[in-house]
Amino acid sequence: MTAVNLLLAVIICALAAYALLAGADFGAGVWDLLARGRHADRERRLIAHALGPVWEANHVWLIFVIVATFSGFPSAFGLIARGLELPLAFALAGIVLRGAAYVYRAYGEGAAGPESLWSRVFAVASSVTPFMLGVSGAALATGKVTADSGPLAPFSSAFTLVAGVFAVTVTAFLAAVYLCHDAGTDPGTEDLVPVFRRKALAAASVAGVVSLALLPLLYQDAPTVAHRFTERSIPFVVLAVVCGFGSIAVIWKRRYVLARATAATAVVAVLLGWAAAQYPDLAVGTATARDSAAGAANLHALLIAMGFGMAVILPAFFVLLKVFSGPEADAK
Amino acid sequence: MLGSTLTDARVQTGFSLAFHIVFAVFGVGLPWLLIVTEGRWLRTGDAVWLALTRKWSRVMAVLFAIGAVSGTVLSFEFGLLWPAFMARYGGVLGLPFTLEAFAFFAEAIFVGLYLYGWKRLSPRAHWLTLWPIAISGTLSTLFIVTANSWMNVPTGVKEVGGKVVSAEPLAPLTGPGALPESLHMLLAAIMCTGGVVAAVYAVGMLRGRRDAYHRRGFGVGLVAVLAAAPVQLVVGDLAARVVEKYQPAKLAAMEALPHTRDHAPLTLGGIYDPDTGKTRFGLEIPDGLSLLTGFRTDKTIRGLDILPAKEQPATPVVHLAFDTMVGAGMAILGLAALLAVVAVWRRRKGVRPLIPLSRPWLVAGALTGPAAMAAMLAGWEVTEAGRQPWIVYGRMTVREAATTSGGIGWSLAATVLVYLGLAAALVLILRRLATGAPPSLAAEAGGPGPEPQDPDEDARAAQDSETAELEGAAR
Repeated sequence: MTAVNLLLAVIICALAAYALLAGADFGAGVWDLLARGRHADRERRLIAHALGPVWEANHVWLIFVIVATFSGFPSAFGLIARGLELPLAFALAGIVLRGAAYVYRAYGEGAAGPESLWSRVFAVASSVTPFMLGVSGAALATGKVTADSGPLAPFSSAFTLVAGVFAVTVTAFLAAVYLCHDAGTDPGTEDLVPVFRRKALAAASVAGVVSLALLPLLYQDAPTVAHRFTERSIPFVVLAVVCGFGSIAVIWKRRYVLARATAATAVVAVLLGWAAAQYPDLAVGTATARDSAAGAANLHALLIAMGFGMAVILPAFFVLLKVFSGPEADAK
Repeated sequence: MLGSTLTDARVQTGFSLAFHIVFAVFGVGLPWLLIVTEGRWLRTGDAVWLALTRKWSRVMAVLFAIGAVSGTVLSFEFGLLWPAFMARYGGVLGLPFTLEAFAFFAEAIFVGLYLYGWKRLSPRAHWLTLWPIAISGTLSTLFIVTANSWMNVPTGVKEVGGKVVSAEPLAPLTGPGALPESLHMLLAAIMCTGGVVAAVYAVGMLRGRRDAYHRRGFGVGLVAVLAAAPVQLVVGDLAARVVEKYQPAKLAAMEALPHTRDHAPLTLGGIYDPDTGKTRFGLEIPDGLSLLTGFRTDKTIRGLDILPAKEQPATPVVHLAFDTMVGAGMAILGLAALLAVVAVWRRRKGVRPLIPLSRPWLVAGALTGPAAMAAMLAGWEVTEAGRQPWIVYGRMTVREAATTSGGIGWSLAATVLVYLGLAAALVLILRRLATGAPPSLAAEAGGPGPEPQDPDEDARAAQDSETAELEGAAR
């Protein structure tokens, strides 16, 4: 495997980690936005509680993806940033407002406006961000994004817009599945399990329907990628479909730990299916991975640094997730 | 002018950087202070240390999050506002940025463990999680500033026709400016954190809250800012020597020196007039600059005239910013020297606490916070404005690097609006957090409010805790 392909693989893995970890954090914000009825406040508290220790570490996966892209494929990065400036600017605004609103609500003690205000900001920003990132990713497949295609180009096809909606439903689905398990670990929130179970089933169904709408649009608006999709991505599609239906089945059977695995696998399969069809283009028609790559010595240095870095970070990440996985009563 | 894409891009970058730096310095400095306060609490079990720790960890939680999201904005802005710069040099700067991403990973992971792990970790394990936070915060400062130092002194890169044909991966980390500049920023972060912490508690004491909680908070912050000051003088001098060697025009702008000459004077303050080359209202010390730079009065110093006028940096701004930084730094250093003498004298006389807490001293201590922040921001102004018109010194101008996209005005307006709103909310929250000792501590001390305690009693308590600490160390 060449250094270019290896770096692409690292970036895709990091993107998958971001989708599974931070994606669920954004999806939890979607459920915060949609929370209604007598449970609403307790749902929001459960969501805030689940996010607390992990959301910042989860967020770093995005920074890692950005840095790896501009370090490894500098000329493509400049071009992609220009072509996607509008959706990326909205995603950024969402990221900033989500993070700020979360800590202002958690630590503000009401000094800077009521908690409900920051709760709204948190929820809306959490919903906007995955939509914009979904639009951005899909726009790279269309071949309509160039350095001077104008700020509205990424929004100009049905495919990118539906892909944005798809990203939101997928994050909501992941969040609901994770929260089913989280709610069940504490007697105080056990009664919320059926609430999130219903939400998980609903989100899975909606995501399925949206993905059915997305496929024909892919063939219509992104022909190059669609062609490679037919050639290469069928195994991933099969995996995604099996795990998608499998998730519905195991959620139905109330096996929430298993549901986490099937849901995560389904999401990763979708991502890999897209990545396989996108290869070797970074932005279809304007930048391939090989042409935009940095010098070989720099790529090797990057990969070595990433190897050592991951050897330190992954165990630490595991400890973080482990420490906060059980209820607090387990504490020493 | 505002409204041109280039200016808007520069203003947006400068504004985003300033916003990020003002809050990110506390993410670097506070973990080191927390290691002290929580460590003291572990050894002594004294509730005051715990109260300080709890309070500062809440502040760190908010500021770390703001630093994290505003840092993300910057990483996007490189591409959004300076696409040509990233396209050409992104690969060269890849290694420091990647290392910084890992340092940030470690920081975020352990911040999560620290902030939410009070009940899930043993007290000792909880204290230990501060070390990776402090170390990785420090490392991320060092890595990120090496990228800036490479933009100032770009070494190790071969270019043909505006394309990088080969670049040493380690060049940004081993460049001549890397170590002095990054250490300079690290010390600045510690000084800003210490100074602002000292300022908060000094103001509290000036308002009559003279309890042990305020005294110790003041002491820890003040020691941090004052102890770093003399080291900063040495590191800053090393950084200036790198500038003199590799960016002579920047040094000339810093010192408002229009013409290359020997016996160069040192001009303190004043407004430089680019048309006449004279500095009005400045204080001129004959031979000063030659003496400082070359240790002899006839050393020749290169002036602004080594470059044509349109390639010179904006000297009036750079000179004033530089003198603001040096002036503020020297004032802090002066206070450090004075307090060191006073502390030695009080120790000999057996007077406690070693740091006097009468009004003038508290006012001076409170001023270290704004002084350190002003020095830090002014220092960045020197580095960045002094590099102009280059984005990568001698290789690429900011004009070549900037985006050609329209609509930057909107993005600038939105950035300023959102950031000002967030900053206003943040200030309100920090003000709420800064109001006095937690009620539990006040109740424990036997009074609800800012009751001044018997100073002798506190001195004894301080000695007791010192003894306990020595015993702890002996074990």
